Amino acid sequence: MNTFISAVLVGLVGVFCMWDSRLLGRLNFEQPLVGATLVGLLLGDVPTGLAVGAAVELVSMGLVQVGAAVPPDMVLGGIVAAAFACLTDASAETAMTIAIPVAVLGQLLGIVFRSIIAALTHVADSAIDNGKFKTAYRMHICAGSGLYAVMYFLPIFLAVFVGTDLVQAIVNMVPEWLSTGLNVSTKIMTAYGLALLLTMMIKKGMTPFLFIGFLLAAYLNLSVIAVALIGVCLAVVFMGFKFNGSHAAAGVDSDYDPLEDDED
Amino acid sequence: MATATKDVSLNKKVSQFFWRSWAIQASWNYERQMNMGFLYGMVPTLDRLYPDESDPKQLAAKKEAYHRHMAFYNCTPQTSAFVLGLAASMEEEYAKDPENFDPDSINAVKTSLMGPLSGIGDSFFQGTIRVIAFGLGVQLAQQGSIMGPILAMLISIVPSVLITWFAAKIGYQGGHEYLSKLQGGDLMEKLMYVCGIVGLMSVGGMIATLIGATTPLQFADGTVVIQDILDGMMPQMISLGLTGLMYWLIKKNVNTGWLLVIAIVGGIALSAAGILA
Repeated sequence: MNTFISAVLVGLVGVFCMWDSRLLGRLNFEQPLVGATLVGLLLGDVPTGLAVGAAVELVSMGLVQVGAAVPPDMVLGGIVAAAFACLTDASAETAMTIAIPVAVLGQLLGIVFRSIIAALTHVADSAIDNGKFKTAYRMHICAGSGLYAVMYFLPIFLAVFVGTDLVQAIVNMVPEWLSTGLNVSTKIMTAYGLALLLTMMIKKGMTPFLFIGFLLAAYLNLSVIAVALIGVCLAVVFMGFKFNGSHAAAGVDSDYDPLEDDED
Repeated sequence: MATATKDVSLNKKVSQFFWRSWAIQASWNYERQMNMGFLYGMVPTLDRLYPDESDPKQLAAKKEAYHRHMAFYNCTPQTSAFVLGLAASMEEEYAKDPENFDPDSINAVKTSLMGPLSGIGDSFFQGTIRVIAFGLGVQLAQQGSIMGPILAMLISIVPSVLITWFAAKIGYQGGHEYLSKLQGGDLMEKLMYVCGIVGLMSVGGMIATLIGATTPLQFADGTVVIQDILDGMMPQMISLGLTGLMYWLIKKNVNTGWLLVIAIVGGIALSAAGILA
């Protein structure tokens, strides 16, 4: 089979696996075992695809994506490794080693694209202001899915069509200060997103609850689910103070808030 | 404002929540994560509620509603279907009775639910189903059987479909059922109060768990490690400080585009200067 066609086919497997988590709620097509098997199927060597997929899947087991952290991209690695094993008779282990720079490039693209989409969010904001509602949600369904597709297609296609040397060269071109710096940027962007949410939520006298939530998670290492459940209990307790009794004289005292402080 | 809601069957609505909650991650980004995905899920409902863009009142309400759902959101897609259904029912109640329904309650409910529902959703789908499905799948694949990946996919897909569908249906129907009971009296006010507290505490928890900014600063040949000192006083202090700084800048009405530039360039600069990691 023509290398160009193989590269496109393997790239499309990558797009399909990426869209599994983007458009299908992560049905688990985005797993090394499935991606590698699909590559084997398309390149006419199912047993090799299965073997590579099983090997990479074992490595990736136990890696659960939590929060904004970007884990080593085993799916991308698995797809590329399967393609190399099918096309060059490399063993599963060798193919995995070759696949590492490709996974690194995919991750770098991932950081850049997720930042670009953060900028697109602002484009959508102003589109809504201008009454262009379709433009706003197309940022999600068209631009978002499109960028995520490129993020997988490009490194896979390059690796299979031109070779991993080129991919390695691209990765080497990106200076380390830039990639570690962008990593810090993503953290500040997350802080920005949460701060935006807070501007809509903070009401007079409610700020202490924000800090209670923070302190519980920071000092006691409680998860957000634990913090939310404690919040429900606290809210019920405070509701007793806030609403009890004052309702006989509704309207007179309805603005009373035991936590009210005189900020503003 | 009398809104003539086009009649759409319940199943049609639920299937819209179903597919759109699956597509909620298509524009996952660092700033507000699944914000545009959530908006996308609300679009059919909002477009039905405010069909007439030539009416300035409706247009303003529609813009406001679109903006409302552009807020930070992050939750497992399958359990998000519940939140989408519930938020849609709240939007419908709000459009019916804009005088007595506080629209802020919609985002308060969303924020209160996303922590617990993503905790449950992630540990069920990623932690349990995925491990069972692919544990079996890998074993079969190692023996060279194509049934490995096929079986793994079947085990993954069936619960996902069932849970998404019923979560959407229960969220939407339950929302209407309880919201009509909550109207009148002070029940709505009480619910708002609870959601306000739970929502704020969840965001506090997210600041401590999602950002994870640290400093690599060291003095006196590594005997004085600033991060250790900060951790001794208050863990995640830098994350809290960054959120506070961004909040202050937003309150100062700094242009949103600039804020994004500050985040990106500032991050690279602070990292290069060895101040943040």
